[in-house]
Amino acid sequence: MLLWLLPPVAWFSVFILVPYAMLFWYSLGHTEDMHFVPGFSLANFARVFTDEPYLGVILKSARIGLTTAILSAIVAWPLAFVIAFHTRSASVKFALYLLVIVPWWASYLVKAYAWKTILGTNGILNATLQGLGFTDEPVRLFLYNEFSVVLTLTYIFTPFAVLSIYAQLERIPTSLIEAAKNLGAGGWEIFWRIVLPISVPGIIAGGIITFSLAFGDFVAPVLVGGSDSVMISNIVINLLGVAFDWPMAAAIGLVIITLGLGLISLTGWLEEKTKVRL
Amino acid sequence: MKRSEFRSDRSSASFSGNMRAGLMAGAAMVALAAPAAAEGQLVLLVWEGYADDSIVKPFEEQTGCRVDPIYVGSNDEIVSKVMSGGGAADLISPSNDTAMRLVDAGVIAPVDPAKVPSMADFMPQFQNPEWLMKDGQLYGVPYGWGLIRIIADADKVPADTDSLGFLWDPAYKGQISVWDDIETLYMAARYLGFENTYDLTDEQLEAVKAKLIEMKPNIRKYWFTTGEMGTLMSGGEVVGGSSWEPTLVELWAAGKNVIDVKAKEGRGGYSDSWMIVKGAEENECIYPWLEYVSTPAAQALAHKVTGFGFPNSKMSAELDEDTRATYERLGMSDSEALTNIDWWQPAKRRTKYLEIWNQVKAAAQ
Repeated sequence: MLLWLLPPVAWFSVFILVPYAMLFWYSLGHTEDMHFVPGFSLANFARVFTDEPYLGVILKSARIGLTTAILSAIVAWPLAFVIAFHTRSASVKFALYLLVIVPWWASYLVKAYAWKTILGTNGILNATLQGLGFTDEPVRLFLYNEFSVVLTLTYIFTPFAVLSIYAQLERIPTSLIEAAKNLGAGGWEIFWRIVLPISVPGIIAGGIITFSLAFGDFVAPVLVGGSDSVMISNIVINLLGVAFDWPMAAAIGLVIITLGLGLISLTGWLEEKTKVRL
Repeated sequence: MKRSEFRSDRSSASFSGNMRAGLMAGAAMVALAAPAAAEGQLVLLVWEGYADDSIVKPFEEQTGCRVDPIYVGSNDEIVSKVMSGGGAADLISPSNDTAMRLVDAGVIAPVDPAKVPSMADFMPQFQNPEWLMKDGQLYGVPYGWGLIRIIADADKVPADTDSLGFLWDPAYKGQISVWDDIETLYMAARYLGFENTYDLTDEQLEAVKAKLIEMKPNIRKYWFTTGEMGTLMSGGEVVGGSSWEPTLVELWAAGKNVIDVKAKEGRGGYSDSWMIVKGAEENECIYPWLEYVSTPAAQALAHKVTGFGFPNSKMSAELDEDTRATYERLGMSDSEALTNIDWWQPAKRRTKYLEIWNQVKAAAQ
């Protein structure tokens, strides 16, 4: 019995408890001339909430994460729906499923970089718009702003939303739809009253993943962000690498983890509440 | 490609730099396992490129000393490795914004210039430079150096531009890109005429911050890696900003009409130095290496790999014709033309500087 517990307990201690304890220990100290000085001060936490730019950047990152999660869900839902219900042949289903996952084999950096060549002043999009005579001058609003950051993040993280929504839709038995039809429900009614409500936990689960990944992202703002697209992970990296302010970085990390825990508890509760027994 | 890669994240923090830091931890452990002070072996904590095979191989053949390089991605990495002790390295190559910090911490041994005869041929700037002198002693042998260039597209910006002021000109709205680094903060301090760039007061820092926020409408993007500024310029995204020399050289090589603006407010200059880690003084390979890397031939090899400037005034004579022409066009071989340079120093309140820089970046346009 105890032997079975050993691996999870060891894993939990080594990778979760000890690192978080260390993070907490660091967050209570400060640095002097690049040396860590231990202490028991909450000053770093106070700085997160009172000093510019930390709280503002955390909120902005949360906004970008939320926008990404919503857009990913909107893009992912119809695709998941088609794979689940409108693909008869198993091999086509598998092929579509594979196509959703395949981009993950390519490097994140390459994919983010590709958006530069599409959205840039002399990029593919502008060349097309000019070629078709829609504009005379290149449109500069496509790249290097929050729009391009959200677009890139949505593109990159949408597969997660597709997979979790698909997993939920897969569970709907065709007999349920047929029963609804027999009872006289139309296409829209089936969608609104059966398919969509049942898919909600999948949307939420996908939303948590896409939100978390986008919230903590630091590559997109660097590659396609504009002059004010700095996100909280960029700040943390800066604090670690340039300023050598590990205590401050640890404090920000803990604040984010606490916010994340709160959010996950909330959505977990929502997921439970919206679950439909099938 | 190589140089743009490794130059990108020296003092700015980057994800690749951090990944490298992770890899480095492993490499450092290997280095610890083999004592660094072993005779006939040199452990270098250096930028990628400073221990390229083309440079190291001839030295190993000449002297029989084995060279084991450990690559670092940022000056902070050098500091933390050296500070933690344990004989992690014999020689390190930090920049001038870090050198004195290490000397002050007492972890560096002085250099005896008499044992490095080639130093006599160094340009005057690199003979006993301020950033390596403490109590009349020299604490390093200058090596790769360069200036943070202010560049501009000659078709869009007047060719006689001689001030940083154009970066704020509303005519270039959304068409400027500057380095995502506290060097940009230094640059604004120079523009405001503050002479204590590296030790600004709170009021001065506030003024610098306001000035940088004022520049934001002009900023298309803060560039992050060296190659990026070149892409922004050649892709028509921006008309000017700050850049490293390799970017400027690339743009020239691509036939772009780009001006190297000699700002009257001064230009930032970095200079790396070979420094002896305290405890490694007795290693017999140290002075042969210091002398070797100070020779014109070895520095020409290093220039080929890195594209950086090198202090030996006879170095450019060793370059092939095209490379030398470019080097001269950059004004790097003429010590008298190298005036008005605000050589980097350790910023006294780096954390504060960085916080200000983050505030600037987070500020709405």
